[in-house]
Amino acid sequence: MRMRYLSVMPAAVAALSLLALSWTPVSAQEKGKNGEKTPYPGAVRPTKAPPPGPPGPVPHMQDGKPDFSGIWNAQRQLPGDPEPEMLPWAAALTKQRTENYSADDPEARCVPGGVPRATPYHVQMVQTPALLLFLFEGNIHTFRQVFLDRKEHLKITEPLWYGDSIGHWEGDTLVVDTIGFNDKFWFDMAGHPHTTQLEVIERYRRRDFGNLDVEVTIKDPGAYTKPWVQHRVATLETDWDVLEYVCNENNQDPGRLVGDKH
Amino acid sequence: MRVRLTNGVIAIGAVLAVLLFTGPPAPGQSGKKEGPAPRAADGKVDLTGVWIVSGSPNLPSDPAYRPEALKLYNERKASGGKGDPEKACLPNGVVRIEALPYKIVQTPKLVVLLSEGNTHSYRRFFLDGRPHNLEIEPNSWNGNSIGHWEGDTLVVDTVGFNDATWLDSTGKPHSEELHVIERYRRPDLGHLAIEYTLEDPQAFSKPYTFSRTLTLVTGRDLHEYFCAMDSFAGK
Amino acid sequence: MKNKLALIAGLGLVFAAVPLVAHHSFEAEYDFNKPLNVTGTVTKVEWMNPHARFYVDVKDKDGKVTNWNFELGPVNILLRQGWRKNSLKPGDEVTVEGFLAKDADGLANARKVTLPDGRRVFGGSSADAPKQ
Repeated sequence: MRMRYLSVMPAAVAALSLLALSWTPVSAQEKGKNGEKTPYPGAVRPTKAPPPGPPGPVPHMQDGKPDFSGIWNAQRQLPGDPEPEMLPWAAALTKQRTENYSADDPEARCVPGGVPRATPYHVQMVQTPALLLFLFEGNIHTFRQVFLDRKEHLKITEPLWYGDSIGHWEGDTLVVDTIGFNDKFWFDMAGHPHTTQLEVIERYRRRDFGNLDVEVTIKDPGAYTKPWVQHRVATLETDWDVLEYVCNENNQDPGRLVGDKH
Repeated sequence: MRVRLTNGVIAIGAVLAVLLFTGPPAPGQSGKKEGPAPRAADGKVDLTGVWIVSGSPNLPSDPAYRPEALKLYNERKASGGKGDPEKACLPNGVVRIEALPYKIVQTPKLVVLLSEGNTHSYRRFFLDGRPHNLEIEPNSWNGNSIGHWEGDTLVVDTVGFNDATWLDSTGKPHSEELHVIERYRRPDLGHLAIEYTLEDPQAFSKPYTFSRTLTLVTGRDLHEYFCAMDSFAGK
Repeated sequence: MKNKLALIAGLGLVFAAVPLVAHHSFEAEYDFNKPLNVTGTVTKVEWMNPHARFYVDVKDKDGKVTNWNFELGPVNILLRQGWRKNSLKPGDEVTVEGFLAKDADGLANARKVTLPDGRRVFGGSSADAPKQ
């Protein structure tokens, strides 16, 4: 354990300097004190894949299905996905939110992150034949249920933060379909919006022991002119358990997130 | 004629396929509440299900409070519940519960308890033989829970609490030294019986025990509930 | 068994290899153009989420004392970087490098903290979060 952490330190220094060089802001750059542009992390698109998780074979359930159970690092988007194509209102709203440095991000106010926003810190997945359960460390330390024993969506009587998720297997890939969303959460810190027409399809495949590939398709004709596909990966966490996180224990931020005001 | 017969064969085939591939409804989905408790694949009683408390969620009596804790309890009662963490959407801890459903998801090495109400969060009971480890999180809202089976009873031992939670809505206090032992039994399909032993040398002069019964909820899973949303305007 | 990393001697002076994901954007609240560097005495530590905080009495050249509210990263991030609940205590003499809040007096983000024993550590700030 000790050895692993120590050997990571030089790599971490290298990673940090590489990260500083690899920021390619999409919009909303500010001038630094010497006139240089300071990148705005919330609008950054990834330029490199994260380091891979540990190698090894995929574990399986008793019924032969791949087992996704484990503690995973936050999903990270891979470089190379095209930008989403939005209806004019959605593009304008995203630009406004980004240029205001995401000051109005609901996530900063301990509001549910919704789907498919990757929550910070760790996510524990617990799988049974009937259920894939997500336990989130960050955001509001809540859970998400993907029902594997149901083929039909529930009748949606009120819009939900996490929608109604059902999953089925296609070979080694779990295909999760979710509908029934409200329109209150942001897809990411940049502030991409959506409507209640949103449907999210996630395809989970455990490539090997330490790597979970996730292909996300966002379908929302109310905001996007065509489906928005993202490729992400989550790596297995090997050293740390999920920690407690109570977002509203001492949240002093809301009144102070002023965004673009100087 | 031929088309109709073919359709009939297809229809029968479809019904058979549905029965073969989806299997019988899971306990609870069928609406059944009577019968023996189901067993998991490893032979243990399966506590999996959606449950709701029978009767009041509050403690049936007061623990034997030491003077300082009693003083705090009386202050809270006199103030009409001022400072109730539950009203601030803070976690209830492990003793205080809501009159709303909870879901248990049981696996051999980990049992998860999901709460529909309060902070819509989760507790994890580690059944993999690990000891308590409070080095990183010595005091948390839900403590650190480890469990083991004694026959058909799941015994869950929790330590490592902060003192910020109330034991119930009347304001019953506890200290960071609180130690909770829960004994879960499923005597039949439709009931979950939990026996609690609370020890707290700083706040109590002797251990306090009480029991709860929860009944199976059928026909629906947990609903969404986010209490902090009452104050969120959303932009 | 799998609860934590083995205790490392001293605090982590660099980030763990897993990049940080921020709770909110740095620039929404703090100003890169307004750095500060102060030395003072810790009066209070709030080891809570979503941001751990510590409060420092700073004396100016006229002897006037201001109590500063410094924001650190979330407890989860700090723990994984090597911080512990008692890494900072009331009475500790510290030097803090950070950035002023855009719209609040006496509030700053703590980017780096020099502890009483001389170690200079990162505050787990969202200024260093790479994405999302």
